[in-house]
Amino acid sequence: MDVRNNRRTTTGSSVVTANRLLDGRIVWLTDQGTWSGDIAHAEVWPNDRVESVIAETARDQQEQGVVGVYGVQLDDRAAGICPLTVRERIRAFGPTVHPQFAPGAPQEDNAHV
Amino acid sequence: MSETPVTVPAPAVGRYAYDQVDRTFLHERVEQFRDQVARRISGELSEDQFKPLRLMNGLYLQLHAYMLRVAIPYGMLGASQMRELAHIARTYDRDYGHFTTRQNIQFNWIRLEDTPDILGRLAGVDMHAIQTSGNCIRNVTCDEFAGAAADEVLDPRIHAEILRQWSTLHPEFSFLPRKFKIAITGSPHDRVAARFHDIGLIARPGDNGRAVFDVYVGGGLGRTPVIGVLLRDSLPEEDLLAWLEAIVRVYNAHGRRDNMYKARIKILVQALGIERFREEVDAEFAQMDRARYRLEPAIVDAIRARFAVPDLHAPADAATRMNDARTRVPAFDRWVRTNTHPHRVAGFISAVISLKPDEGIPGDVTADQMDAIADISERYSFGEIRITHMQNVVLGHVRQDQLHALWQELLAVGLATPNIGLIGDIIACPGLDYCSLANARSIPIAQKLSARFADAGLQERIGALRINISGCINACGHHHAGHIGILGVDKRGEEYFQLTLGGSGENDAAIGQILGPALPEDETVDAIAALIDAYLVHRRDDERFVDTYRRLGAAVFKDAVYATA
Amino acid sequence: MPLLENGRIVADGWTDVADDAPCPDKTAIIVSPDRLEEALARAEAAPLGVRLAPEDDVALLRTILPRLGLVCVNFPTFRDGRAFTQARALREHLHFTGEIRATGPALPDQYEFMLRCGITTVEIPDGSDPAIWEKAHRRFTVAYQPSVLHEKAQGFGFRRFLDA
Repeated sequence: MDVRNNRRTTTGSSVVTANRLLDGRIVWLTDQGTWSGDIAHAEVWPNDRVESVIAETARDQQEQGVVGVYGVQLDDRAAGICPLTVRERIRAFGPTVHPQFAPGAPQEDNAHV
Repeated sequence: MSETPVTVPAPAVGRYAYDQVDRTFLHERVEQFRDQVARRISGELSEDQFKPLRLMNGLYLQLHAYMLRVAIPYGMLGASQMRELAHIARTYDRDYGHFTTRQNIQFNWIRLEDTPDILGRLAGVDMHAIQTSGNCIRNVTCDEFAGAAADEVLDPRIHAEILRQWSTLHPEFSFLPRKFKIAITGSPHDRVAARFHDIGLIARPGDNGRAVFDVYVGGGLGRTPVIGVLLRDSLPEEDLLAWLEAIVRVYNAHGRRDNMYKARIKILVQALGIERFREEVDAEFAQMDRARYRLEPAIVDAIRARFAVPDLHAPADAATRMNDARTRVPAFDRWVRTNTHPHRVAGFISAVISLKPDEGIPGDVTADQMDAIADISERYSFGEIRITHMQNVVLGHVRQDQLHALWQELLAVGLATPNIGLIGDIIACPGLDYCSLANARSIPIAQKLSARFADAGLQERIGALRINISGCINACGHHHAGHIGILGVDKRGEEYFQLTLGGSGENDAAIGQILGPALPEDETVDAIAALIDAYLVHRRDDERFVDTYRRLGAAVFKDAVYATA
Repeated sequence: MPLLENGRIVADGWTDVADDAPCPDKTAIIVSPDRLEEALARAEAAPLGVRLAPEDDVALLRTILPRLGLVCVNFPTFRDGRAFTQARALREHLHFTGEIRATGPALPDQYEFMLRCGITTVEIPDGSDPAIWEKAHRRFTVAYQPSVLHEKAQGFGFRRFLDA
């Protein structure tokens, strides 16, 4: 995994993310242990605990149907769950140049069923 | 605009026509991948094992989804193939395709489980995604005006096809230290950046009428930009494959595998020095079974015979009629000045369709635009379409008396932007909006620049200028080869942009030099505008931006960007 | 590890001798290049093989090759393709006709490439299904370049008919 993806401070908090194996879509680990396409549903972990959550989750990613499990540092000053880096904000909220393709936008549901 | 798959595109003008053997092979390749996908989903293959296999079928796991890169060998497409790409964009993607700097097309929202079916659809029109990624020999790129340009001395597409076939599932070269890119041109004016490829081939007719090749090796961009060096001049056609086999064997055996950033052939050539590298290639060439690899004239001619040749006859007054229209319609005249290229046959011309509309995304096309281009190509250019490494589209053989009608049709579908070779004709990688490797977004910078310099008159006044934007050091936007290069860098998770000046990928190949410290995103477009202002003040006569830079050096431009900051 | 040859698991008559172990007499053994002289000096001339490291130049075997029955080439990872070039050079440059054996964690998807470079046997992981390897071998009926197997030409160009 790219080192940038795992850049994390000792304090602060993170969420856990991956891509779904079958369609590649970005998903976030919820407090139910399930995966959601909406970062707002992600469970937030303090950074001193997130490493073990990532390791545990990564262990059975095949069974969970996801690939590339890693943690995303949050911007603790932001309202709601918002990643710290531009990269992760784009992953969470969609390509800035195609707002119609943001997760949850109508097109997302219409695309090829 | 047909929704049903078109079967055999015939005749295949400007490209190789498949026969049943080729189709059987493609079908077998699709079934192989279907099986690999099933093994991945079942867990028999781990992601680590599957990744190189899917990459060799052009399938990446990108930022938001899987991305499929489809090969467009030497940039040549038929109308029915373009319609199939449109169909894939509509059915499996989100109505878009994105043409790349290596003459391929990418779909950004693909599902793994759909991919075998998509490859099956592509095989139905003699297309594939083979070796569009992975540590293997990639799609061979070619001059976008091949077979049409007035300045061409040899049509390079025949040899490009021979190299495509030879490199396809090559048993020895499918697990190289790193990717391997070959470009070929048959024009003395290098439009393929031959000196920025692992191997660049410049072809011309030899004394016996057969092709000969100047072979450049070890060029490349990426994090270590290097201008390729001449390994061999006037290589006879019959030795072309043997010689390339020898080069790639030396690379496969000795290229570094301990560090992926030092694994390209350019690093090996630098480490050994060109003389030692040449000795290694010579030694391999001397030992190999040359008869086995000899490219006999009969083989070349058999491949050539698979290429349909357009019937190029124009009325005697074709040029006059085009010129009349230019006199009557200034906007058409402007488009002809910027978006056409001289043809080898009187009465014909090559037209460039800009995929860089004002504030658009460089290289992006909608499914409807793909269909429109397909229809237009059938009416005006023998159903033959070329994708350029500048992310535009070329119609190679247009009758001059029909050029005005073509322009009107392009205008109607928003594809007549008159900016080829100008500041609006920006090359940009997908950047952080789509790419998992990127550090910064390329496309928004391109859009803002395009908006800032939207005025066509201003663009023409600024003149020939190449702006290249890469979202990271991997340099897919070829920023080192731009007159103005823009490189996205990451500073503590925020986007910054570093400017380089003076690069070129053409005959005057040069690597752009860094101007100064990277700029925040919101200062970058102003900095480019300041560079342009400085150039307009200091240029002499018709001097291009890059020539003014080369004459004056960086100081003037550095002041323009940083003195006010 | 099971040894695959022609799509079937076959008995392995060779003993791999570690660098710090003595060379047994009267046994077909595989040694590293450094110990070839020692192994050739054994009392009775039992079959001898060598295991190459990926960085070894096969030309080093030029004089000794006629006395060898087997050469092992290694895939340290399946992504490292140097063994393909070594095998091909053994066949094409040195005209070696003995067994070329692939070791290391290669994938069945690479089997046809191995065969076309002159590899004849493959050590496959315990429990892996030889049928998957055989299927990979039969997958393609056509190739686009000549190989050391001298396959029949298929129409024009460099196409070859792959006889499964």
